[in-house]
Amino acid sequence: MSRPKEMTRAVIVGHKSILKETIDALHDTNLFHVEDFVEDESGFKISKPFKNAGEVSKKLVKIRSIANYLGIESKKPVVQKTDSVLRELDSKLDELDRTISAKTESISQLENELKDLESQKRDILPYLSIDLDFEYYRGYESLRVFAGTVKGSLEESQISSITQAYELYFDPQSKAVVLFVAKNDADKVYELLQGLGFKEFRVPERGGVPSELLRFIEQKEAEVTKRIESLKGEIESLKSRYADFILASDEVLTIESQKAELPLRIATSENAFIIDGWTPAEDYDKLVSVVSSATKGKAYITSLEIHHEDEENVPVEYNNSKVVAPMQEVMDLYSRPKYTEIDPSSAIFITLPLIYGLILGDIGYAMILGGLALAIKTLVKSDAVKPLMNILIYCEISAAFFGVLYGEFLGFSLASLHTEHGVVPGLIPGWETITLFEGIGGEVFTFPVHRSHMIMTMIGLSIFVGLLHLNLGYLLGFSNVARHHGMKHAILEKGSWMIIELGAILAAAGYLSVGGSALMYVGAIVLVLGIVMLAMGEGIAGVVELPSLMGNVLSYARIIAVGLSSIYIAGTVNDIAFGMIWADHSQIGFAAIAAILVFMLGHGLNSVLSIIAPGLHALRLQYVEFFGKFYQGGGRKFNPFGYIRKYTEE
Amino acid sequence: MVDGATAGLFLDAAGMKALGAAIAISVTGYASAIAEKDIGTAAIGAMAENEGLFGKGLILTVIPETIVIFGLVVALLINQ
Repeated sequence: MSRPKEMTRAVIVGHKSILKETIDALHDTNLFHVEDFVEDESGFKISKPFKNAGEVSKKLVKIRSIANYLGIESKKPVVQKTDSVLRELDSKLDELDRTISAKTESISQLENELKDLESQKRDILPYLSIDLDFEYYRGYESLRVFAGTVKGSLEESQISSITQAYELYFDPQSKAVVLFVAKNDADKVYELLQGLGFKEFRVPERGGVPSELLRFIEQKEAEVTKRIESLKGEIESLKSRYADFILASDEVLTIESQKAELPLRIATSENAFIIDGWTPAEDYDKLVSVVSSATKGKAYITSLEIHHEDEENVPVEYNNSKVVAPMQEVMDLYSRPKYTEIDPSSAIFITLPLIYGLILGDIGYAMILGGLALAIKTLVKSDAVKPLMNILIYCEISAAFFGVLYGEFLGFSLASLHTEHGVVPGLIPGWETITLFEGIGGEVFTFPVHRSHMIMTMIGLSIFVGLLHLNLGYLLGFSNVARHHGMKHAILEKGSWMIIELGAILAAAGYLSVGGSALMYVGAIVLVLGIVMLAMGEGIAGVVELPSLMGNVLSYARIIAVGLSSIYIAGTVNDIAFGMIWADHSQIGFAAIAAILVFMLGHGLNSVLSIIAPGLHALRLQYVEFFGKFYQGGGRKFNPFGYIRKYTEE
Repeated sequence: MVDGATAGLFLDAAGMKALGAAIAISVTGYASAIAEKDIGTAAIGAMAENEGLFGKGLILTVIPETIVIFGLVVALLINQ
């Protein structure tokens, strides 16, 4: 069981003239967690950022907005030299900025033009069926022009009954009307038109025949769209050309800005600075030598003793092997351990996959999900996804192991089973179930373990696993308390729980066995002793908590409960699918295809459920039942001043 | 059913057992659901403020799951 990495509190003091060198050296080592200075009455003040800070952050904002606009994503890094990136930065950034803003400006201009053309087109469209030059619509002294639509149909006779001096163009399909009448009769004609639901159009101010105008506008639209496309294509090519530059300069500028802003977090007087912080004890010597050589020995570095009351605030860095490391994600999801605590990563490295496997226990699903996790791990290059996939792989290995023990494959039983109603054949011919010993409640314990035929035995076993798990928690808690408050407290606070369990088990054994009543009394005495110790250790609150022990233990019954639900879903899918196939009498027809579909969809669904249900329940047993026995959490993350370079190097 | 009437019961013993098990499971299922509904809503609200609370929210949300597990244990004991 590991503890977090041992930390050393280091203080670096020096003259302001070497501040920049010191900061550069610290940033390069990426080993020093800087403790932010809070101004107090000591007379020290936080300093101002370096002069280039404003410039750097301005450029950083610019480059990030460009990256955002171009939609640049992190990709396989092409490592560049920092110097060359910095040298070209200004000119390239300006050029990029200028080209992009010029291009976006012309794009927005062209888009406006496109909108304009669109509205012109809308104006012309109604006139299309009456192909008259727009010049004819205006400039008359004695004529009135009506252009628009009517709702019903318009007969020439209706107009000719009012006046003879007219010229009518009517398209019965689109109901478009263009009517020229003498001004004298215009009012009457207008009344008639209004009766027909006349709606007037605006006459475009330009001249020309509508059909030709439309052709002209459409041609122009195509041209403008093409130009927009080509500009967008050019921007896209900028993206591929400048992606490396943008990623590299973002990194360089981020580093510069971190360095330039560090003075805001440290204590300074008129001429001196003090940087206070933490470094892993194993790296302290390295830190000293790096800073000394960078400042030619002018900086004074010393380590401070960690006071007992400060221990809670020490930043925490995990100290696990590579195999256990993925479990740190599970820890961080809950809460990072305190510096003073045992880091239970290596415990849950065993118990989480173990309980997951106990619940799922199916070779088929383990293979499907394990393969999926492997595929995602190799295909997705994200640092956030990898540990999760590793955890899933651990869990699936365990599920495959228990799958062999349970003899299950996608809900099918691999071994044949002899029951009162006859022999149920298994998937693997010749694999017979062996009866090992009597289980609970008249059941028999067999290999492979047919979970659905020995439910009571499995509940008992689940609870036994739970007892082991909880007691591991008490042992870890015992070690935590013993380390910080002494052995007496440890025995009273955590040991008492184990004594209570022992008493309860003895009493139960005495009660169940015939004539063993003496054992029952011994158990009762041990139980009372444990309760008294608990009351001494944790006070009345501890005694109130007593019933929760039973709740915690029974909670482990979910191991078999959730497992059974998975088996029943898989079994139902198999029954439906194979029922359909047998119904078809070995003809490849619709039912067979539907059966295959049901089989695949059903097991696909159950595979997804097989991550969620066993995963969540296994996790919950860690978080609630296991951690509740010893774990506090709430440690600060060790966050060293520095940057892990991906796209640049010194 | 004449048999049921002669037995003086609506159901035979096995039927009553099955019904009892069903009640044990369904009522505790509802109880868990009601409790988890309130906790889950609050947990999502808290997560909207601070994403780091996911782990704690998850734990608090699944605590009432134990109720339905008890129900299941009782149902299995009834059917013994």
